[in-house]
Amino acid sequence: MIKNKNFLGPSGTVVPTGEFWLLSLLGVALLFGVWTGVAVSGVMPKHFLPTPLDVALRLQELIVAPFAGFLYHQHMLASIQRFLMGWAIAVGIGVPLGLLMGWYRLLDEIVTPLFDAVRFVAPLAWVPLAALWFGTGIGGPLLIIFVGSFAPCLISAYRGARLVETRFVEAGQTLGASSAQIMRHVLIPGAFPSIIAGLRVSAGLGWQSLVGSELIVVGAGLGYLMVQGQGNISTTTVMAGMLGIGLVGFLIDVALRAAEAAVKRRWGMAT
Amino acid sequence: MRLSRQSIVMLVTLVTVLSVWWLSTTGLRLINPLRLPSPEDVGTAAWQIMTKGFAGGTLWVQALHSLQLVAKGFAVAIITGVPLGLLMGWSRRAEILLNPTFLLLRPIPALAWIPLAIVWFGLGDTGKIFTLWLTAFVPNVINTFTGVRQVDTVLIAAARTQGASTGQIIRHVVVPGAMPHIFTGLRLSLQASWTTLVAAELVGAFFGLGRVLNVAGQDIYPGMILVGMAAVAICGAATTWVLGHVERRVISWRPAL
Amino acid sequence: MSDIVFSAITKRFGDPKTGFLALDHIDLKVEEKEFVAVVGPSGCGKTTLMRMAAGLDFPSTGSVTVGGKEVERPGPDRSVVFQQFALLPWKTVRQNIGFGLMCKGTPRKEMDEAIAHYVELMGLQGHEESFPHMLSGGMQQRVAIARAYVMQPDVLLMDEPFGALDAQTRIIMQEELVRLARKNPRTVLFITHGVEEAVYLADRVVVMGKKPGRLLEVMDIKSHRKAENWEGMAIEEVMDLPTFVHLRSHVWKLLKSKDAGGTGDH
Repeated sequence: MIKNKNFLGPSGTVVPTGEFWLLSLLGVALLFGVWTGVAVSGVMPKHFLPTPLDVALRLQELIVAPFAGFLYHQHMLASIQRFLMGWAIAVGIGVPLGLLMGWYRLLDEIVTPLFDAVRFVAPLAWVPLAALWFGTGIGGPLLIIFVGSFAPCLISAYRGARLVETRFVEAGQTLGASSAQIMRHVLIPGAFPSIIAGLRVSAGLGWQSLVGSELIVVGAGLGYLMVQGQGNISTTTVMAGMLGIGLVGFLIDVALRAAEAAVKRRWGMAT
Repeated sequence: MRLSRQSIVMLVTLVTVLSVWWLSTTGLRLINPLRLPSPEDVGTAAWQIMTKGFAGGTLWVQALHSLQLVAKGFAVAIITGVPLGLLMGWSRRAEILLNPTFLLLRPIPALAWIPLAIVWFGLGDTGKIFTLWLTAFVPNVINTFTGVRQVDTVLIAAARTQGASTGQIIRHVVVPGAMPHIFTGLRLSLQASWTTLVAAELVGAFFGLGRVLNVAGQDIYPGMILVGMAAVAICGAATTWVLGHVERRVISWRPAL
Repeated sequence: MSDIVFSAITKRFGDPKTGFLALDHIDLKVEEKEFVAVVGPSGCGKTTLMRMAAGLDFPSTGSVTVGGKEVERPGPDRSVVFQQFALLPWKTVRQNIGFGLMCKGTPRKEMDEAIAHYVELMGLQGHEESFPHMLSGGMQQRVAIARAYVMQPDVLLMDEPFGALDAQTRIIMQEELVRLARKNPRTVLFITHGVEEAVYLADRVVVMGKKPGRLLEVMDIKSHRKAENWEGMAIEEVMDLPTFVHLRSHVWKLLKSKDAGGTGDH
């Protein structure tokens, strides 16, 4: 007789493969079942809570017929493009600045109080100022995305630079490396794992900020599509927009996770 | 008293930034005041909102309104999210069953729920609390879950061999063991909550700091915009400080870093 | 009665028919109030054996009984001392020692007295309100041993309890354990890497080999200890005795032999 008793909680539980799939299927069925059930029951009016099928049909429609000026994937591309631009600026400024702050104490002492002073301003609170500076142009959303994703870039690069152990630097110096060589071969690779982890966090926050800024200021993009859907009380459109936002966010995260894992493998760190 | 090198650099930096700000606006009038308000403009705006009020209330009324919304959403998210995270962490079957829902919910930023919240609840407080709840709920569940899974199995085994029941293990081993992760979730979701609230109030609200920012933007009142931003930052910093204080009290057993 | 009986134990991990064979047909009896040490190379399944007696792991075939009753779950009648101490970091020394009593619902006064007794016995006075991280490894293991003894268990199961300690602390703790065992005899199953430790502490030493995990030899130590009165000597004196040296090298030879499946260096 085989005993399989669990007194140790999750780590002592082995769920057989068959049961795993059964439970997963049940989970999916539960999610869509409850959703559909509530939608069909009429507890909420149909135009407030559509069924999953309604959303899927609406999504199909949005792909072939323009809404709020563009087709669905055009909105999505507009969002992605805007996100990539804003995020690239944040990475391009945040990472080098963080590294330099990690290496030069004076710069650290100058920037840190300024950074601390604006750190707690929620990214979306920059919206009115962005409108003042850039009107309805592309600069507004870019600023919001920049503000949203800048902090993790700076902090992770700073921590990465500080974490490179002095003994590596000293080892490099005793071997006769110049400071440029030390920077290239010791400091930057040493900070890299921390930076790439920070990039993942910053991309997530940047994508969120993009959504927020699109709700408020722009004329295209998934967020804009949702606002227009909300204005027409077209819940299906709003939900279709949410799905697209979730999908892109998910893909960004998957890509950066893969990059992070690859870097850790290459540097021989435990994942 | 001698000042440290660090505080001297800090003072010099802040004084420099403030003087450059004053010179470029009031002093030399290099920047259009409609782009960047002068320190005096900000002072006037601050005085106005503190005494007479702006966008339907004084600074205290607006800030308190925002604060209580964040507090309510946060509280509901803790009450619902932490127990669910504990359940999913302790039971693999619960985890597998609920995983599809979280796979769908997790990548959707809370901000993306704002339009839906408006359709469902309108522009009042309920919709805001709903969005704030979602903002904090998902990180709370996920971090509590992670925390439970990272509790050292040998501690659970040791408690079992001393005759602890499942309830006693949850209470004395799992919850305290997961507490550092739970607080990580709280910290992350508190910052996200302020972002969500400001966004929700900018999209549409009757009161709150986001409303102040919105009206100031529409009126092209740069001084008030900066006052609104500063108020948001102070509220965010203050709540984070309170949370950090609570964390140090609750996790007093942890070795100092 | 509190003897531990392993009868015809096999343990496979993974598939019950083809999975890794961790233990192959183990028959072993630990008599009441006997101290048995198990030595063997890493991966010979000695810890699994202890976990089965604790009720934290179960054999694929065969049975484990303690005091004639089949082991079905962990329980306070069988206290375990873990290599990693396994103290609750968020509870003070006092709360850690009293945890089992609290779970049982022991009245406050009785609990305080029991804790005070073992705090004194293990030399932990003055540390009652400290958190584990504030103590050295040796002190933490004292707390873990006090926590095991306070339950007044019939059976003590120790899994390399001194493995994480430095050499000096280990010797102090070994002498401490001998003192405790004499004062308060229990049925003890002691798992260890250390050959000297096993020969010094145990009434009988069980030598195991790996691939698959199995018993190589069970050696009687108690008769030698009685005859030469080891308990009246300091640990370093015992370790210089010709009998001790002989017993120790016998275990070493067993562990190094092809039979053991290990390289002998551990």
